[in-house]
Amino acid sequence: MQQHIDNKTYHVEILPPKQDSEKLDADLELFATKFKRVMESGYCACLTDNAMGNLAFQGPEMLEELGLEPKKDLVMIHLNTFHTKENLDGILNSCKALKIRQLLVITGDGSDRLPKLAPSDIGAEGVESVTSVELLKYIVREYPGDFELGVAFNPYEPEEHEAAKMERKLAAGAEFIITQPVIERNEIVDKLLAKYPTIPVIVEAWMSKKIDLLSEAVGYEIKTATDPFDPIATLKILHQNYRKCGIYLSLLGFKTQYDLIANTWK
Amino acid sequence: MKIVVCVKQVPGSNDAKIDPETKRIIREGIKAVTNPFDTYAVEEAVRIKEKIGGEVVVLTMGPPRADIVLREGISVGADKAVLLSDRAFGGSDTWATSYALARAIEKIGGVDLVICGKQAIDGDTAQVGPGIAAQLDWPQATYVMAVPEITAAGIQVKRMHEDGWDQCEIKLPAVLTVVKDINQPRIPTLKGRLAAQKIEIPTWTAADIGADPALIGLNGSPTRVVKTNPPPERSKASLKLNGTPEDSARRLVRELRLRGLV
Amino acid sequence: MMANTDKARVSYKNIWVVAEVMGGKVQKVTYELLGAARALANKRKSELWCIVMGDGVSRETEALFHGGADVALTIDDPRLSRFLDEDEASALVRLIGKHKPEVVICGATTRGRALIPRVAVKSNCGLTADCTGLDIDSENGDLLQTRPAFGGNIMATIRCSNHRPQMSTVRPRVMTALKPDPSRTGRIIREKLRPTEITDLKKVIEVFHDTENAVNLADARFIISGGRGVKGPEGFKLLKTLAERVNGAVGASRAAVDSGWVPYNHQVGQTGQTVQATVYLACGISGQIQHLVGMQSCDYIIAIDKNPDTPMMQLADVAIVGDLFEVIPALVKEIPKT
Repeated sequence: MQQHIDNKTYHVEILPPKQDSEKLDADLELFATKFKRVMESGYCACLTDNAMGNLAFQGPEMLEELGLEPKKDLVMIHLNTFHTKENLDGILNSCKALKIRQLLVITGDGSDRLPKLAPSDIGAEGVESVTSVELLKYIVREYPGDFELGVAFNPYEPEEHEAAKMERKLAAGAEFIITQPVIERNEIVDKLLAKYPTIPVIVEAWMSKKIDLLSEAVGYEIKTATDPFDPIATLKILHQNYRKCGIYLSLLGFKTQYDLIANTWK
Repeated sequence: MKIVVCVKQVPGSNDAKIDPETKRIIREGIKAVTNPFDTYAVEEAVRIKEKIGGEVVVLTMGPPRADIVLREGISVGADKAVLLSDRAFGGSDTWATSYALARAIEKIGGVDLVICGKQAIDGDTAQVGPGIAAQLDWPQATYVMAVPEITAAGIQVKRMHEDGWDQCEIKLPAVLTVVKDINQPRIPTLKGRLAAQKIEIPTWTAADIGADPALIGLNGSPTRVVKTNPPPERSKASLKLNGTPEDSARRLVRELRLRGLV
Repeated sequence: MMANTDKARVSYKNIWVVAEVMGGKVQKVTYELLGAARALANKRKSELWCIVMGDGVSRETEALFHGGADVALTIDDPRLSRFLDEDEASALVRLIGKHKPEVVICGATTRGRALIPRVAVKSNCGLTADCTGLDIDSENGDLLQTRPAFGGNIMATIRCSNHRPQMSTVRPRVMTALKPDPSRTGRIIREKLRPTEITDLKKVIEVFHDTENAVNLADARFIISGGRGVKGPEGFKLLKTLAERVNGAVGASRAAVDSGWVPYNHQVGQTGQTVQATVYLACGISGQIQHLVGMQSCDYIIAIDKNPDTPMMQLADVAIVGDLFEVIPALVKEIPKT
């Protein structure tokens, strides 16, 4: 992960198509196009896992079925706790077969159609439900040395609570951190960096013009320097404020913004 | 083991809206979906196939667009699908439906087990499953909540009753109807959905299954709907209680007493 | 379809109720059906028969006469101590062929719903499930069967003109039993199982009566039901205290069952049970369509919710805006122990 930061490699999020898509072929083609473009640019493709509890296809199965080849160390897979044990091992083994080493381990969002790992499934004791911490421990135990594991950090949640969780995550085997979207600068992220100077941190950039959606998600209004919100300008400011961090691009517009980021990371 | 799963396409329903005048549910956005109980039936069949080997065939009797529910079955592990579709089946009640499905199952041939969902949420009769068993003269088990064991000769099932359950051993071939508790249906994989898109689904007509025209469709249906009425009116006056919990409780108990309920 | 009613209409006579038997005892629903069927037999000027199959059922005949039956036809056989649908169906089909009843009614219970569809197919006759009303057409004597359709949004009247017998299932608590008349007597017909009727296709190897967790939603007069608002298994314990106070049963929405707070046999709704209780108290249930279709025919619907605008609160006859964790204990206090 430190390499990605040193090499100024953007992390680009791509969502696999929804499971109930009525135009599956078109969605698959779009995904393939985006993925190949990211590979060609030398960026790292980050594939989500049932984002927001919406049933979607898994990253590894997308690559396998569409014959898309992951470039070395340029694919990261999200992995959450809403799987059966069989599913979970299937995904991990697919990642191994595809030589994908980077995983972002999160608790995730469930829904009434998604199964959930039980503590007994993964040998977790003394907990009522499975979080990213238990999942990390499982992967470290059962798949030693196969993966580089990252975790999420949410500066919009109560500070002490998140800090304590981060300690537990790091103790369980996390090796890098990706934050929730930061607009220009976030004090709490600054504190995180100060606390863990040797751990690679990747800051998420919100690339959609709809800043109100982010405000809705975090629960309060986010103030921005530019009005209307200009994601590209904000991205440049983010780079300036977080020179030692990597950047994770969510909601990147492949038609309108992709070419504009060719030179933003200097 | 060859397993046939009978599935049905039913109207789905989205948001509940209550008509304040009539207090009836307004159904909006009717989308055709797979009958929820059938999803459990398909999952159980696929699990049995994964355990002891064999083939799962999904079968539906419906209009041409009912192939969607068959493809859903393929996307979660069924191997083949058959669409039974013919104008002549129109207007079938449960007798005529179970007759047609039974003939189709015979045409599929070599079937060891038929699994259906407990009931369809539109007709709600729960009659077709046992009806198929009767047409084929096979043993049956309804309200099945578990299939603990299955071998080539027989099957053990747990049946749900109002006051508990019982466990039976049934000779094959047999018909089962299953309840929701029996399993958690898997989510289709991409591979499954791609296979489902690709697969060719044969359409069988009444002639293809050798159905007696007198026993299908309206002709074959002993029951006829002769009239439909709106349901008995619910009293439009509703009581809204906004006070303290103690006040609301007192008011409610008074109403119950007035009605002789406590 | 043919062959069923040659001179049929004339030759099929009498109203039959197939008894629901558990552990050799006739269940309440049978008496409710006898109550309804008595009226039908009176209109048709024919006899009301009760068909009782089980182990030790000969002891039950007197009560059946008190409950309105003119004839009790029994198959008393130890082999029927457990529910063997195929064997009972074979016997019933033979008896129908022999005695030619005009109407056959059975309870829409798990056993009834397994048995009667099989009998209907083999007897080549029509079956209407879950009837809420049964009447006789004054013009031609046909049975008029009323049942809800489309989740209760319409009532359909169904007729079976050309086939006999006309068969119906009826849910528990829909019809009313007659007041037992100890002076009534009747005729007993004793039948036996034929060897061919012991099909040996099924063997019941274990039976479990869940007395502790038995949830008889179908029979319950009061249902106290919980949804997402109940927040967990502890909340359901609270609902249980109220249910016990009113001799009721605890129901649940799909959300509560899926979250593992309460077992599936408590689920009310499209993929659970449909109930017709006298009182349905919905606690923290928003009222998705799939739930509403399972309980909207209950006589008196009460809802407790913090949100006054949910579909359930709109449907309810009494809508209590409040915290169920406060209202339920208050109710328990107000209702005396019986």
